Amino acid sequence: MADELTPDEALDKIDYRPRSSSEPRNWLDTTKSVQIRPGMYCYAAKPESVETLGLPYAREWNPTDEDWKLPENWQEILHEGIKERLERFRTFKIFMDICVRCGACADKCHFFLGTGDPKNMPVLRAELLRSIYRNDFTFAGKLLKKIPGGKRLLGSREMSLEALKEMWYYFFQCTECRRCSVFCPYGIDTAEITIIGRELLNLLGLNIDWIATPVSNCYQTGNHLGIQPHAFKDMLEFFVEDIEDITGVDCTPEFQKKGADILFITPSGDVFADPGTYTCQGYLILFKYLKDKYGLDVTWSTYASEGGNFGFFTSHETMKRLNAKMYAEAKRLGVKWILGGECGHMWRVINQYMDTMNGPADFLEVPVNPITGTRFENAASTKMVHICEFTADLIKHGKLELDKSRNANRVLTFHDSCNPARGMGLLEEPRYCIKACADEFYEMPPNTIREQTFCCGSGAGLNAGENIELRMAGALPRANAVKYVHNKFGVNSLATICAIDRAALPTMCEYWVPEVDVIGVHELVGNALILPGEKERTEDLRMEPLPGVEEE
Amino acid sequence: MSSLGQEELKLDADGYLMDPSTWTEQIACALAEREGISDECPLSKERMEILKFVRDYYKRFEAFPIIRAVCKNVGQEKSCQYHQFPDPITAWKIAGLPQPNPEVLAKIRH
Repeated sequence: MADELTPDEALDKIDYRPRSSSEPRNWLDTTKSVQIRPGMYCYAAKPESVETLGLPYAREWNPTDEDWKLPENWQEILHEGIKERLERFRTFKIFMDICVRCGACADKCHFFLGTGDPKNMPVLRAELLRSIYRNDFTFAGKLLKKIPGGKRLLGSREMSLEALKEMWYYFFQCTECRRCSVFCPYGIDTAEITIIGRELLNLLGLNIDWIATPVSNCYQTGNHLGIQPHAFKDMLEFFVEDIEDITGVDCTPEFQKKGADILFITPSGDVFADPGTYTCQGYLILFKYLKDKYGLDVTWSTYASEGGNFGFFTSHETMKRLNAKMYAEAKRLGVKWILGGECGHMWRVINQYMDTMNGPADFLEVPVNPITGTRFENAASTKMVHICEFTADLIKHGKLELDKSRNANRVLTFHDSCNPARGMGLLEEPRYCIKACADEFYEMPPNTIREQTFCCGSGAGLNAGENIELRMAGALPRANAVKYVHNKFGVNSLATICAIDRAALPTMCEYWVPEVDVIGVHELVGNALILPGEKERTEDLRMEPLPGVEEE
Repeated sequence: MSSLGQEELKLDADGYLMDPSTWTEQIACALAEREGISDECPLSKERMEILKFVRDYYKRFEAFPIIRAVCKNVGQEKSCQYHQFPDPITAWKIAGLPQPNPEVLAKIRH
């Protein structure tokens, strides 16, 4: 556990030198089985969660055991699984074939930078699967495996139990953040290789619990946390009470209102865990403001109560099943379009998969902001708009009255969440919102933001407790950039637009940069927005005294 | 020291009470001692208020309350949860509630 490892010890552990002579010289050699080390892996999926989803081979198993209780014909299942996917996904086939192993991606991965483990170089992580593909599916592989030294020449190997264990270990040490893809001269999307890799592992019931159980919850109750409708409502009512204490205004939202203009969906983490809860209060304040000033009609849903989609980290099929619920609810309620909260991977699912998976959502309208008249052409097909686009549009048209001084205690920087940045190009809007709500804003170094942003180290279902050493290692490059702006400009607040970030980055900061706090963009909006009829505010949304107000 | 024998305290591998309905204030004392929170019995009024609230909340919602909602609901100071049970999970354990699912656990603990 990183709890036991001080940051200095963790830094000392990173070793970029070639491996020691006691290890096999050739990485393809699996005679020495991969060492699955505590702190670096996540617990196995519980059988009941796998069963709920109707996924195969639900069973108790333990990654550190010799015997993974695999079905007898597991090699055949994997072989067929790879074959089927090569036919179905042209990207997968191309990504298996075209890599020239130039190494441009090697030092772009936060897990490689934070661990020094060569198998965390994206190229080598992909080679774990590619080596088997070459052996079993290419002409050269079939030919060369008969010749002594042929496999070494081609970089191919058999699908052995050790190779399977290695794939499991390293495909769950990838956050599918796609930073490596930005640097690949061929445009290979290594995340897609991890996605297929995990899908193949799921054919053998080899998911991790931190993914399988939230997926199972979401499938049954509508959200990853398993919050039931009455609890979801109770949690929002608690925020309403707090907001009323702070502002004197009642921001009670609508639930499942038929015929509302807009359905709002956010990750369930926002309604449950700090500091996401303050972002959630920001949404409530914004909607109340827009309702009073412009008559905007927004509804929440206790059924479509999850923006995130951990199905994305399991298989294409599971992702599709979880995504469908949002659109089913929009259809049932008869809204015009969907507004989505601050979430990360949800936006990759929406922008890059939804349309050909469950779309087109023809029963909805092309989103138009009723207050400004802006038509969101980028969402013409998915019918789903990011709240930062929506708020930025309102600010641009002078529709929001904001008091920046209420965020004057915050010296901010912005962490681009991987998926909104690289999966939908949402780069300017959050910055525009932040700058409208606070005066002091400083960017981290250019090679750590925007398209080149560094992952939080806990995405794609890896935000568990048991793999904390891996998470803190993976967070190091991001933390390093945060530390840089903290030292140089006195940055004390790291703004972000993702629920996993809001859960993962506080742990990262506490470990690597304890002076910095994490805040959602709409928490800043909620603090700054002047509600009609509000009392003189003395506290921010965290119920801390506003800048310039003495604590009683 | 609590007078409760180990045989009466049926816990799962992670230290959660197997059957939440068997919970008593005596059991709470034994669990608090096990978790290194307190060796007093009965537990302090402040701690018992928190435990009773989370039990009641769980009964109504089958969910864990938002941490900062706990103190407000029991009428204690804002950081009461942290002061009484530095790791919130120990409060669920001592309240005899089942283990939260892994995502809830990570969100509570982060």
